[in-house]
Amino acid sequence: MTMTPIALAAPASAPAPSDALQRGASGFPSPADDYREAPLNLHHHLVRRPASTFFMRLEGDDHRHAGLHHGDLLVIDRAISPRPGHWLVAAIDGELSVLRLERRQSRLYLAPSRHGLATLPFEASDDRLWGVICYAIHALPATDEESAMPPCSR
Amino acid sequence: MFALIDCNNFYAACERLFEPRLEGVPLGVLSNNDGCVIARSEEFKALDIPMGIPTHKIAPHLRRCIVLKSSNYTLYGDLSARVQQVLAQQVPTLEPYSIDECFLDLRGMHEDWQALGATLVDSVQRQVGLPVSIGIAPTRTLAKLANRQAKTQPARPQVCVWPSADAPELAAHLARLSPREVWGVGERLNARLAGMGIVTAAALRETPDSVLRRRFSVVLARTAAELNGRACLSMGDLETPRRSILCSRSFGQPLRDRASLAGALRHHCQRAGEKLRRDAMQASAIGVYMRTNPHHAGSFHQACEWAALPFPSADTQQLNRAAQRLLARLWQPAAYQKLGVMLTELTPRRQSQTTLFDGAEPARQEALMHAWDSIRARYGRQALTLGPQPVDAPWQMNSAYRSACYTTRWDELPRARAR
Repeated sequence: MTMTPIALAAPASAPAPSDALQRGASGFPSPADDYREAPLNLHHHLVRRPASTFFMRLEGDDHRHAGLHHGDLLVIDRAISPRPGHWLVAAIDGELSVLRLERRQSRLYLAPSRHGLATLPFEASDDRLWGVICYAIHALPATDEESAMPPCSR
Repeated sequence: MFALIDCNNFYAACERLFEPRLEGVPLGVLSNNDGCVIARSEEFKALDIPMGIPTHKIAPHLRRCIVLKSSNYTLYGDLSARVQQVLAQQVPTLEPYSIDECFLDLRGMHEDWQALGATLVDSVQRQVGLPVSIGIAPTRTLAKLANRQAKTQPARPQVCVWPSADAPELAAHLARLSPREVWGVGERLNARLAGMGIVTAAALRETPDSVLRRRFSVVLARTAAELNGRACLSMGDLETPRRSILCSRSFGQPLRDRASLAGALRHHCQRAGEKLRRDAMQASAIGVYMRTNPHHAGSFHQACEWAALPFPSADTQQLNRAAQRLLARLWQPAAYQKLGVMLTELTPRRQSQTTLFDGAEPARQEALMHAWDSIRARYGRQALTLGPQPVDAPWQMNSAYRSACYTTRWDELPRARAR
């Protein structure tokens, strides 16, 4: 016979276990049924607006100092309005690129991390903006994720 | 009021979203099996390469300055669903009309229509990244014309509002417009109208209802009424047979279980297949749309997905097999009120490209479908119906220049470069 653990802290408003008991596989009613909740869904946590959320892979290690590594999974929500300090995906030189939005002397710039690249002035309604990155998911060496990515070219 | 919202050069725009280097480049999208050009960017149109041209007939000097892409319905379908989701958050009722167009039923809303249109266009552009245009008018027929007018505007957002049927700019527009341009008026109907001296849309809407009913049909009389601002056509009444076919129906009772929905879907596939064969057309892609009742309390659910057919087909069994696979992906435990099947990229049947996978099958399928249609015609529609279909092994098709499925496969995600 299987036992189902009983939830310990029952809120006062919860129905008494005797209400509408359901039979478990053993034929016994499971007292935990009344407290069952949906399991945590990481996707729903990270993707608040499915219509405007896209995933990308980060290529290159230039932003490593900011905790953005080659191969990280980027979660981009196009519905977010960009603000200074945000990390953006922008179309630069025909390429989807990751840069940080910065404010300097009350003007906005797209700031690269790589040496030798110029900062680019940025307008509020800039055509080059693709979306704001809201999460970067980084795999640690213990996961299989790392090996699936080609080694960093830089 | 109704609105028609339409994605500008939809397939090309989808390709460009994840490949910004294609911006400004003449871009063409190819049919299944890369046979011919089915969609063009503005730059491609400017080169005077016609729609439908077989890929191998494009002149070599042009070939060097254009980019061709295989059609990627997985990507287009996902982006199409996103556009609908963004719109559905802002308006009560939305009816997809094809993969890149949908009607919004704005009845009961009282808005600054110009502002609403601009908001809708901006939200799709910002949240999904696709340019759209919108036409808003008292009837679906007028909304479709208004949308066409919006597309000619150079300034963004492309919004055209005709608040009433007697708006002076609308009257002027209809006086210049051939009846052929009106939703549901085909080539033959247009010729017959011309024979009676009806050569503009304005003349069509001034023709008395009784004349149109007597000499043509109730549907044309309704079209004229729609041009006069009286909404009397539903989505099912009119389709543009050359581009897409739509079979949808609301259920008397909400349907919850998958088996009943699968049955309804088989029914729609039968009808869609019959329509295709009646018009001697075949389809390249199929979409399934389903929704719960938007006016009921509780959570509203709607979903729409598209899939490419292995090769252009008018075979009911093929259509149904693809549709059932889509249903399996879409279905959630909800009380569905409406289910529809859409077919798109229709081509005349004789232009069929044979593929390695066809083998001797087309002739047999053709004969089977012919027998099918004649049995149903002679003994009634219930005499022969489509039973459950086994799901076949996935097929492979020729798409040499297909872009990645950027939004639906983990191993095909777009790459963003750190700078």
